[in-house]
Parts: sequence; C-alpha cells; structure tokens
Amino acid sequence: MYIEEIQLTNYRNYDHFSVSFDQSINVIIGENAQGKTNMMEAIYVLAFTKSHRTPRDKELIKWDREYGKIEGRVFRRNQSFPLEVVFSNKGKKAKFNHVEQKRLSEYIGAINVVMFAPEDLNLVKGSPQERRKFIDMEIGQTQPIYIYHLGQYQRILKERNALLKDLQRSQEPDPTMLRVYTDQLVEHASILLERRFIFLQKLRKWAQPIHEGISRGHETLNIDYDASVNVSEDMDSEKIRLELQNHFERFESKEIERGTTLVGPHRDDLLFYVNGKNVQTFGSQGQQRTTALSLKLAEIELIYEEVGEYPILLLDDVLSELDDYRQSHLLNTIQGKVQTFVTTTSVDGIDHETISKAEIFTVHNGQLTEER
Amino acid sequence: MYYPEPISKLVDSFTKLPGIGPKTAVRLAFFVLNMKEDDVLDFAKNLANAKRELTHCSVCGHITDKDPCRICEDQERDGTVICVVQDPKDVIAMEKMKDYQGKYHVLHGAISPMDGIGPEDINVPSLIERLKDEEVEELILATNPNVEGEATAMYISRLVKPSGIKISRIAHGLPVGGDLEYADEVTLSKALEGRRDL
Ligand SMILES: Nc1ncnc2c1ncn2[C@@H]1O[C@H](COP(=O)(O)OP(=O)(O)OP(=O)(O)O)[C@@H](O)[C@H]1O
Ligand SMILES: [Mg+2]
Ligand SMILES: [Zn+2]
Repeated sequence: MYIEEIQLTNYRNYDHFSVSFDQSINVIIGENAQGKTNMMEAIYVLAFTKSHRTPRDKELIKWDREYGKIEGRVFRRNQSFPLEVVFSNKGKKAKFNHVEQKRLSEYIGAINVVMFAPEDLNLVKGSPQERRKFIDMEIGQTQPIYIYHLGQYQRILKERNALLKDLQRSQEPDPTMLRVYTDQLVEHASILLERRFIFLQKLRKWAQPIHEGISRGHETLNIDYDASVNVSEDMDSEKIRLELQNHFERFESKEIERGTTLVGPHRDDLLFYVNGKNVQTFGSQGQQRTTALSLKLAEIELIYEEVGEYPILLLDDVLSELDDYRQSHLLNTIQGKVQTFVTTTSVDGIDHETISKAEIFTVHNGQLTEER
Repeated sequence: MYYPEPISKLVDSFTKLPGIGPKTAVRLAFFVLNMKEDDVLDFAKNLANAKRELTHCSVCGHITDKDPCRICEDQERDGTVICVVQDPKDVIAMEKMKDYQGKYHVLHGAISPMDGIGPEDINVPSLIERLKDEEVEELILATNPNVEGEATAMYISRLVKPSGIKISRIAHGLPVGGDLEYADEVTLSKALEGRRDL
C-alpha cells in the first residue's frame, strides 16, 4: 500500500497545503522547526487518529484555528481510497472512503504505518509503558478487535481500582462487586495475553534473522514476555483465564489492602536479550539501537504477513544517524516494496544511490516544495 | 449579553436542558417571543404539570402520573417476569416493540465506583425486596451493553442466583455518542445475539 497524496488544513504549522508522493522513497529536507516531523505525524495520525508524540489532539490544530483536517488517498488492494481525520473542539471524526467511522476499531487498519524516530530507542531503554504501547499499537493495527478488548480492559480496570480504593477504606469490605469486576477483567485480560503471545512469536521469528544480519552474525536477539502473573506463551486463552482467576482469588485481600489492581496486562513488560544478556541494562548504545531497528524492520514483515501488503515506513531523523552498514541493510529491506518517507536536515550522510532514486522535497515554514 | 432581564432568565432556563448550549438557548428564547401567547401559556403549563404530576412508581421505579404505575397495575401482564432496565426511556423503547408482556424494574443508573455510584445508590435494594415479596420466576437483565451496564447485570445476577430465579441477559441497543474510543463491532453482535442465560 502507499499514500498517493496528503492534504492538510489548519494542521500544526501547515495552513492549506497539498502534495503528491512517490510510490517508493520520499525524502523531506528542511532546517529545524520547519515542519518535517509535523508531516510525518500527519501520516501517522491518518493511520491511528492520534499522534505519536502527544495524547492531546488539540495540539494538532493550527494555533488560533477552530479545526484542523488531514486528508489523504491511500492506494491498496489495487484501489485508491480517500481518508479523512478532522479535529475540532467537539472531538474528532474519521472517515474512510467518505463514510464516517464511529468506532476507532473500525477505522484503524485503513492504512498500516511503521514509524522509526530517535525516540524509538526508548522502546529498548525506556519504561515498560513504552513497550506495552508498542505491542498494543502493533497488534491493534492488524487486529482491530484487540483495540476493543484493550479499551474494555482499561475501563474495567479504572472501575475496579476505584472500588478497591473504597474497599480499602471500609470496615467490613463486601467483595461481591469486586468479584464481578474480577470476572470481567479476567475475560478481557486472557484475550489480550493470548494475542500478545501470538504476536510475540511472530515478532521473534522476523526480528531474529534481521538482527543477526544487521550485526553481521555477531549478535543473537531474544525476546521474552515478562508477565506479572504466572502465565506462559504455551498456554491458550482458557488456561490463561484459569491462571488469572486463581491469582485474583488468592490475592483478593492483598489487593483490598493495597487498594489497587496488582497484576494484569497493564503491568507486563518485554525483555530483550542480546547474546543472552539483557540489552535494556547491559547493552551498548549500538546494541540498543540495533535492537530497536530490528524490531521496527520485523514489524514491516509482520504486517505483510498479517495483511498481505507492506506498510508505509516513516523514518524521522534517523536515517543519517545510522552507520553505512545499518543504512544499507535498512534500504535493502525496503527496496522497491515499501513506500518510505525520510526526513533529514541535510542529504549529507545519506546513501547517494538512495537519494538519486528518491523524490526530493524541501520544507520551509509549513510549505513543502517538490525539488524534482 | 445585555438582553432585557426576562429574556436572560429564559435563556438561562433553556441552557439547563441537555444538549442546549448558549447559542441555541438564545435562538429558542427569541423563538418563544414570536410564538402565540396561548401556545406559550400551554407550554409553560405542560412543563410544570409534567413535573408536578409525574412521580416514580413506588414498585418499579418507572415514571408515572399515578402510583403504582399502569404497567404494575395491569392484571393482563405476566407478573412472574421482570425486565430490569437502567432508564425510564428503556421501558418506553421496549413498550414500543409491543413484544414484551412481563413487568419492569427501573434502576435509574448503573453501578460505577469511579463515579461514586454503588448498588444502594440505584434501585437495586428495592429490586431485591420486590423479589422477596412477589412471585417472580424470571429476571431479564437489560442494562446497557457497556462495562458499567454489564457489571451491574453481573452483580444483580450474583445476588439473585441463590434464590433459584431464572436469570437472562439481553443487551438492547448500542451505546450512544460518536466517541471513537469506545464500542466496536462486538457490541453490535452482542446486541443482535439477544438474550442469553447468565
Ligand atoms: N499547533 C500548531 N500550530 C502552529 N504551529 C505549530 C503547532 N505545533 C507546532 N507548531 C510549529 O511547528 C514547528 C515544528 O515543526 P516540526 O516539529 O515538524 O519541526 P521539524 O522540521 O521536524 O524540526 P526538527 O528538525 O527540529 O525536528 C515549530 O516551529 C512549532 O512552533
Ligand atoms: Mg523533527
Ligand atoms: Zn410500576
């Protein structure tokens, strides 16, 4: 799949603007603060209806404007479809093929996007929350039903935690309502866990050979799921459900004492190992970077496996950061099959051959100009 | 806004209605000024009467102008089946379908610890009392198909189950509002799936 064109209205530092893109590689060159990341973000938002760098939709609307709009055309399954996401103080609306999609899970998946930006090093180094977000977004974009279960899970968790706070303060806590929420929580948690396990197996399958390639055969990558409950990847959702149910029964009084839900998918993490050593704690900068890159490249293949088309790749400020070997490895992976957007402040440090084949744009103060 | 005081007061009254913002309120207020005087008087009288004459049925909690309500008093209806709903609007919606011949119990909300609403804050205690007094054989839980509605249904089910009363769950309708974050196709299939045993 690829994006044919984008049209921005009152979005970030763009006023009224439209541009057509190349099917293969698009390089966007500009000085700092001109709108490179904003353009990448626009494509990301078109895929997920939310930004990769802020949870507050309002920030996407150009200052002093009432609303902001991102429109685009995606070409997939041999057809071109219009997409539209509008933000205003009334909230947001998303349309696929002219029809408004009321539910996030119906819209997501209209286009698949993989983004790689300097912050993605946090995928390895950052807090567990970053890794949970990674898993959730990635599963969600190929399996919208996952988003439904995640949303339900989070809602139940909030209610359950509020109740646990009440029970913590009460003299004779009545556990009836708590058990209702436990049942609900377990139902969705077991589905989330099962899907995460399946995702992980696929991610591993793709990431391992990629990592080995980038490290010239010196490094072996391993990924583990660090669960807060005693569950493992060989369990099906029924086994997981039983284990969770047991756990919550055993720890009921402890949870009441602590006034919060102590375990569940919202407390889990991923662990990355290179040659048997945890990269999060022991990895060098280079190893961490390679790991993050392997995961992102694995995602591209994984999405292809799931949806039968390659996603769109956004490389914000990272290509020139990679050494020649990693760069060419990346470019070989995407060669001719993945529509790619690259931003950079200068073409120095980017592979000449790539530049010569790419469509070049320069951006200045919210205006993108095609160079050739 | 420097409208004459009577208009300001009217605008203020309109903004108390759900879904009416300041702009709409002003438009409605000026519309009222152009209405025929008889119509305006009728309107005002109907508003006041609706409030004065309508109460909640002491048996089922539905809105009514006489207590107990007509549904509760109707001898033709099957008193062994009670359908539990969140809102009087749900009763009206079910009655429109004309399929259901049993009685109702209106909870006036759903349990939500987040919003500080426990079982005693809605009509759950009166339902339990009712089940003790009346010869009820079946309870249909028709609370909303969202987390809070499901939890409320499951809670009632846990309380009532030991009594041996048959309990089933029906999810009527879909969550309203165009919020992108909520709901999904599963909700739809759940609603279509209809009644299931709990
Ligand atoms: N809501 C908004 N309305 C108007 N301008 C905005 C808005 N949000 C951000 N900007 C402006 O957009 C510019 C930043 O654009 P962007 O983040 O795309 O920069 P960039 O080209 O990626 O720069 P860098 O090379 O530093 O990453 C800033 O000048 C910022 O003030
Ligand atoms: Mg930037
Ligand atoms: Zn009644």
